[in-house]
Amino acid sequence: MSSAFHFESLVWDWPIAIYLFLIGVSAGMTTIAVFLKRRVLVDGASRDGIIKATAIIAPLAVIVGLVILIFHLTRPWTFWHLMIFYSPTSVMSMGVMLFQVYMLVLLAWLAVLFRQEIASFLEQRFKAFRWINGIISVLARFERVLEPLMIFLAVALGAYTGFLLSALKTYPMLNNPVLPVLFLFSGISSGAAAAVLFGITWFKQPIDSPSVHFVHQIEKPVVLFELFLLLALFVGLFFGGGQREAAAIAAIGGGFWSNVFWFGVIGLGILLPLIMSMVCSKRVQHSKSYMIAVACMGLSGILLLRFFILYAGQMTVA
Amino acid sequence: MSCSRRHFIAGMGAVIFMTGPVNRTLAQTMSINGIRYGMVYDETRCIGCTACMDACREVNKVPEGVSRLNIIRSGPTGEFPEAKYQFYRHSCQHCDNPPCVDVCPTGASYKDAATGIVDVNPDRCVGCQYCIAACPYRVRFIHPVRKTADKCNFCRDTNLAQGKLPACVESCPTKALTFGNLDDPNSEIVKLIENRTTYRAKVHLGTEPKMYRIPSKHGEIKG
Ligand code: SF4
Ligand code: SF4
Repeated sequence: MSSAFHFESLVWDWPIAIYLFLIGVSAGMTTIAVFLKRRVLVDGASRDGIIKATAIIAPLAVIVGLVILIFHLTRPWTFWHLMIFYSPTSVMSMGVMLFQVYMLVLLAWLAVLFRQEIASFLEQRFKAFRWINGIISVLARFERVLEPLMIFLAVALGAYTGFLLSALKTYPMLNNPVLPVLFLFSGISSGAAAAVLFGITWFKQPIDSPSVHFVHQIEKPVVLFELFLLLALFVGLFFGGGQREAAAIAAIGGGFWSNVFWFGVIGLGILLPLIMSMVCSKRVQHSKSYMIAVACMGLSGILLLRFFILYAGQMTVA
Repeated sequence: MSCSRRHFIAGMGAVIFMTGPVNRTLAQTMSINGIRYGMVYDETRCIGCTACMDACREVNKVPEGVSRLNIIRSGPTGEFPEAKYQFYRHSCQHCDNPPCVDVCPTGASYKDAATGIVDVNPDRCVGCQYCIAACPYRVRFIHPVRKTADKCNFCRDTNLAQGKLPACVESCPTKALTFGNLDDPNSEIVKLIENRTTYRAKVHLGTEPKMYRIPSKHGEIKG
């Protein structure tokens, strides 16, 4: 092994880690936003800062993620092959299909959610495009179906990135059934962090509003479950023996990626926010800067988790 | 009725998506014409001269910096003049159950139903490198000129297409390589496997490699 970022058995490098992170953020944010709208906001969801943040970040993260992925191909200009040749045995191929459906449903759901805003915008600026309102009102009739479908697709997308890696028999640490669940839940926790961060900064959502409170409430159990999944992942590898055990030791038993895991993923991303929530007073916890700081820690932790899993996962071959 | 059929198809899609690459298309497991090519590499005969590597590069126009075939030397075991080296062939195993084919999103990586040879269609490959990561034998690479995935294909489009044996087999001075049809009970390769002790690398992964090895008399087998 030559260095932490270049070694013999490494195939997929850092752009893939960023892609995995962005997809997780999108899937997590969308899942949370649908629940937020149904449970808390009901009507007038389009005026909520967290929903507005989701409307922008969730599609944007997928688009940026896919662009990164396309330019990571050795032949980027043949990317359309992925959209016409499908292989049902390939997780990636099924993922391409999922991406297309996810984007369509996400845009439809957002259009319905923001139908009044879109209508008045078209009325003022682009009268020629008023026919779009007709399409949206047809879509609006399916709102009750769109929402559960949206949740299903977002959950599938969140787990998909985990399946993508767990299909690799080559690497015992990745070829692991915990990975899709871990990716889904860490994606949800990054989605919650992004929702709070962009909701209260860009869209001036008051920090004592019911929607911020709702997102805040899901964060803690999700993070604790994430911690449990990481435990399950490594305990499973240790008890697996052979190359599984070797993979676990190589990943968290010392070295560069082990430090990233213990200090970045566990320390900065999970333990520090938990400790802060125990020692800081309620007044501090309800300040905007505290919330921004915690959201940034959470997001950094998840980004580092993606890097760690990708690189450390490829260090040991079956 | 059309509604229930649609549900069925959607359900199947979900099942396939959730279970990952477990089911295989018929064409991948079926052998037409009863041909299923494999190879035996006799470690007791190999002297590590690398004539096979050179022949492969020449015949298949493999550019510098990458290779379809490597002979890896390990050892020595014992002291001079009794020092013994072990040789290991590093090349595509032509798995009967190839993970590289399962993961390929475009069908560029495929198993040729008529010969059992695992090959790459460069026109369809997008270079996602999923197959390179999925191959537990680490034999795939990106062709520096074509920018597509590449590896040994038993000279399917070169020597084999001209009715000759694969270049490595042809060039081996010690006859350490035997190529042939594993589905023909009378073939030289089947007889060899029946009469000698062979092993295959990483069988525990369920890839069913078609590269058989006769172990060297010295040192440990590290499949
Ligand atoms: S050895 Fe690797 S490249 Fe060859 S068939 Fe098996 S998995 Fe595919
Ligand atoms: S690199 Fe090419 S052959 Fe390999 S999986 Fe991707 S598309 Fe298929």
